[in-house]
Amino acid sequence: MFTVQHVTKKFNDNPVVNDISFRLESGRCVALLGANGAGKTTTLRMLSGLLKPTSGSIAFEGMKLGADMRNHIGYLPQHPVFHGWMTGKEFLIYVGQLAHLTKVKATELADYYLERVGILDAKDQRISKYSGGMKQRLGIAQALIHSPNMIMLDEPVSSLDPIGRREVLTLMEELKEQTTILFSTHILSDAEEVSDDLLLMHKGEIVESGTLNELRHKHQTSKINLSFHESNENYLPMVEQLPGIKTCYLDREDIVCVIEDMEQTRQALLEKIATDQWPLTRFEVSRASLEDLFMKVVNK
Amino acid sequence: MQWRTIFRKEMLEYCRNFSWVWVPIVFIILAIMDPLTTYYMPIILEKAGGMPEGAVFEMPDITAVDAFMMSLGEYSMFGVLVIVLFTMGTIAGERKSGVVELILVKPVHYGTYISSKWAAKLTVILVSASIGLLTSWYYINLLFGELSFTLIIQAIFFYSLWFVLVVTITIFFSCLFKSPGAVFGTSIVTLLSMFAIYRVFSHKLSWFPNSLSGHIGEMLQTETIPNTLWGAGLTTIVSSLIILLIAVLIFRKKELA
Repeated sequence: MFTVQHVTKKFNDNPVVNDISFRLESGRCVALLGANGAGKTTTLRMLSGLLKPTSGSIAFEGMKLGADMRNHIGYLPQHPVFHGWMTGKEFLIYVGQLAHLTKVKATELADYYLERVGILDAKDQRISKYSGGMKQRLGIAQALIHSPNMIMLDEPVSSLDPIGRREVLTLMEELKEQTTILFSTHILSDAEEVSDDLLLMHKGEIVESGTLNELRHKHQTSKINLSFHESNENYLPMVEQLPGIKTCYLDREDIVCVIEDMEQTRQALLEKIATDQWPLTRFEVSRASLEDLFMKVVNK
Repeated sequence: MQWRTIFRKEMLEYCRNFSWVWVPIVFIILAIMDPLTTYYMPIILEKAGGMPEGAVFEMPDITAVDAFMMSLGEYSMFGVLVIVLFTMGTIAGERKSGVVELILVKPVHYGTYISSKWAAKLTVILVSASIGLLTSWYYINLLFGELSFTLIIQAIFFYSLWFVLVVTITIFFSCLFKSPGAVFGTSIVTLLSMFAIYRVFSHKLSWFPNSLSGHIGEMLQTETIPNTLWGAGLTTIVSSLIILLIAVLIFRKKELA
């Protein structure tokens, strides 16, 4: 649906987004994941047409080059600002008309989406009286009003309290059925919860992408966590020398061993512990999570 | 369609934030202040006192045309200031607050966005300025003598062109800068430079926008529209449209983030 090719964005010769390429498939919910300052907002702004790429191309499937992409896109900025003197409903009708809806149609859809995002009760209140969560939901409603093929949400839940977050995530879960969603977040669990695909961004580049399952599978490494009665440091060099251990490091209370072959290494480890009578207090087999992948990429 | 939507939204905003109340009031005050104080000056002096005993205060004779030109004089000073203050945030304010992000991700042409806001501001300002001048005309007729209605309408028409230019210059800088303060500064500096240029070269620049009020005075005296007034009017309106066009072109290239 969307093809991004070699897009770079520089501010004063400083590349904020550096040569990224990816494709978005229709009907998917894609999370753009990355730490603060990774270039997520800049990427979304370029896709929505608010910024022009320094180089590279963004193409919308089935559209002529140079045509107005904005007809097919709904966008929610990170901190949406509205005309505070308007009511929620007035604002939706206004932006609906700006997206070429007739007044009647815009009014009808405004009511529908106010209901859909759960702020119908507040439709005749001035927006300046809205809470943060209500504004975020009004923001989602305005992104949807012209039934775009795709909506882009910039950090839709980051600024919300736990209840608001849960509500917006549930709403996104529902919206997945009717439109393509691209949203940015720096919180992995949000991405894991609603998205089908992940784009992992770091320092302006897309460092990893794929479906959630693919990524889980690809980066699944086995780990063994060990802990000893006395100081772990003493045992670290000895553990390191055992066969089949890729790396070993100290993590708080544990020695974490990343290994290749679980069966073989577990055997070797347990034998060693038994024969040398190491004061083992903990032995745990675990699998690396996406969070480890995230951390690995970000700390690189 | 979109143009009307934005225009109507601006109008609604001017109702809600009481622009439709205060802008006319300011212009009425500006227009009537000078003629009224001049007329009542002898009475004011007498009541306020402070004149030395036996001093004779000779008031110059003031014609209706002079009185009307006083109103225009106030407009040229404080009127322009009010307009710049009222207009400077038109685009800059929306960009600074970030509302523009929500508007311009909808398929709105930049030309539509700017020109509709321009037209909305002009509507408020020109209507208010006209109300002010008509009020002033009413008092002038009562206090100083007859001035024909047609002449006043013509004067209002030509003087409005000057305000069109002032609004356009302010909107131009409003497209350029994000901070309303910067817009205010640059607009005022531009207008002052135009004034200075006109002062120095006035004999050669009879079609210069700043010459409008001089020509209007001439028109009121002679009761015919001088050619130079048509000329100055034309330059003013053409340069306004060109500046507006450049503003749109610059805005289109600009990154809105």
